Amino acid sequence: MESISTFYSSSTEVRYAPPWQDLSIIGIAGSSGSGKSSVAMEIVKSLDLPWVVILVMDSFYKTLTSEQHHKAHANEYDFDCPESIDFDVLVETLRDLKKGKKADIPIYSFTEHQRQPDTTTLYSPRVIILEGILALHDPRIVEMLDVKIFVEADMDVCLGRRILRDVRERGRDIEGIIKQWFEFVKPSYTHFVEPQRAISDIIIPRGIENTTAIGMQSPEHAGFEHRNLIYLDMVVKHIQRKLQEKSDNHTEALRNLGLIAAEVELPSNVHVLPSTPQFIGMNTILQTPETEQEDYIFYFDRLVSILIEKALDMTSYVAANVETPQGNTYLGLHPRGIVSAVAILRGGSCMETALKRSIPDCITGRVLIQTNESNDEPELHYLKLPPKIEEHATVILMDSQMSSGGAALMAVRVLIDHGVEQGRIVFVTCAAGERGLKRLTAVYPRINVIVGRIEEEGEPRWIEKRYFGC
Amino acid sequence: MATKETGPSPAQGVGPLYRPDGEKPTATVSKEVSYDNVHVLPQTPQLIALLTMIRDKRTSRADFIFYSNRIIRLLVEEGLNHLPVVEQSITTPVGRSYLGVKFEGKICGVSIMRAGEAMEQGLRDCCRSVRIGKILIQRDEETCMPKLFYDKLPTDIANRWVLLLDPMFATGGSATLAVETLIERGVPEERILFLNLIASPSGVAEFAERFPKLRVVTSFIDQGLDEKKYIIPGLGDFGDRYYSM
Repeated sequence: MESISTFYSSSTEVRYAPPWQDLSIIGIAGSSGSGKSSVAMEIVKSLDLPWVVILVMDSFYKTLTSEQHHKAHANEYDFDCPESIDFDVLVETLRDLKKGKKADIPIYSFTEHQRQPDTTTLYSPRVIILEGILALHDPRIVEMLDVKIFVEADMDVCLGRRILRDVRERGRDIEGIIKQWFEFVKPSYTHFVEPQRAISDIIIPRGIENTTAIGMQSPEHAGFEHRNLIYLDMVVKHIQRKLQEKSDNHTEALRNLGLIAAEVELPSNVHVLPSTPQFIGMNTILQTPETEQEDYIFYFDRLVSILIEKALDMTSYVAANVETPQGNTYLGLHPRGIVSAVAILRGGSCMETALKRSIPDCITGRVLIQTNESNDEPELHYLKLPPKIEEHATVILMDSQMSSGGAALMAVRVLIDHGVEQGRIVFVTCAAGERGLKRLTAVYPRINVIVGRIEEEGEPRWIEKRYFGC
Repeated sequence: MATKETGPSPAQGVGPLYRPDGEKPTATVSKEVSYDNVHVLPQTPQLIALLTMIRDKRTSRADFIFYSNRIIRLLVEEGLNHLPVVEQSITTPVGRSYLGVKFEGKICGVSIMRAGEAMEQGLRDCCRSVRIGKILIQRDEETCMPKLFYDKLPTDIANRWVLLLDPMFATGGSATLAVETLIERGVPEERILFLNLIASPSGVAEFAERFPKLRVVTSFIDQGLDEKKYIIPGLGDFGDRYYSM
């Protein structure tokens, strides 16, 4: 790890905040079996956005000691009191996500009563629905919540639901469930769950019975459930408003970065390929609309091969003495560490053929960033990075074309959030606008950028369409 | 053993300009020569690492082929830059005008058998349908001088630019004979580009003086020749390592 990172994060650094920073969190508390998850699902459905994640507090149960383990199997362990939940880890996780960082969510096994060695990675959601009987219990969490919901239900209904769920999904027997209910669940409700009611923003009086409450309201409950519908609608509207605000801020911040960047010179870590006759000739063929598809692909691959070879100059090497077949020695270099690549989809995937010419078995990740046509805001839709990417000596980030630099800014941020040091990232693109390049390097002054050709500002993306033919 | 003409090769820190010298690993780089018609590829850490791979006797044949092809592509790309172009203005797919260039002049490859044939794939990677002629030159058992045994060249070679291919440029005996053959067929000296991976300083010097208008493109000028006229440190017999070892 480099120690200079703190030096660079001085106040002069231009910052980029991705739209998933400062995410919205909705907390849903309520008795076991009250229908919290139905409410959560209903909110997810109404928001209808790809970045909404339900985080179930059960994942944060503490691993039991062997003594507790025995108790648990005898249904004598209290899973409903706050002590059974690892609030510290949960708070840390939520704080990381608030900062826009990636978080590892523990996986808890209900049959073994312990955390599994694996974790689930959660990254870049914009809305989290935290659901658990004690979701509003810890003040550190309450402070982070945008909306606090308490779901109330008749205790008999709760018990019924709990029996069904625990038998079906968690492999328990009915006797044990009932024992646990009267010994722990009910007392805990009075002590810890019910008091959360007072601090909640919205109380949903009896959960949501499947979709009936929302869609097909029975006449005798119409008023009752209609109110729930309005509550949920309020929640959804509130979150939507917040998201819109953030999206506007993000677009605005990108615009401002462009203004700052316009005043500076193209920095030395931006390497524009020299205008050799062959290079210009290839660029001419590639920009001629009449060029046949077959020729286009051939010259594109050839041109990108040159960019990739140039990018490999940026990776690390160590001195190495080798012996030739005649027994002479030569003091040369060996590459140090793994060079991997990440393609920004779809444009970056045009460049993989050329990449594989230089590194046939290159480890490759992908990230799909699409620009929202209504407001020009880049959006992260999909992410699959190679394991241990933070240990790779160099990560080549590829995009066929870069205009405003919004997608590149976001992709670099994604890599950094996954532990890749700035200095190890080499962004490679066939054509880029000067403003976008300045914007990118103003925010990330230590990445290297390889550019085939400087193009005019605001050039629409067309290279990938030409390469793939659609 | 080195003969007298061979001084030590320069060693220096190699790496991108922006990197401070202390962070650049030291490696032996190409010797410099002062002939305008000799072009040595930029000594980037990447190129040095590729050369290190093909010099290493432990490198497997598959890797040898792969890494030499990568260097050959860099040589071909550099070589092609010496071909003429004419300005051409076009309208791009998004309706902008771009002042570009168009490739002028027909080209062909000529490989000196058999090691030179190993460079054909790299040439084809950059120029798909290029014509390729062949020349076989062997050492005459009696005179010990190189002798032309066979050639098959495009009939219109006199109208073409010729990329002459031979990976190891030691004494330049075969290359000289090959160039003489090409000139005999009517190819002007200035339209010949000789591409090779590793050259000896003496070979390059004699050649540059004998054919002042011909251009040599190489990736590395090595330390010198041993008493068997092998390049040192070199990489062994290129043909053997590429085809059979």
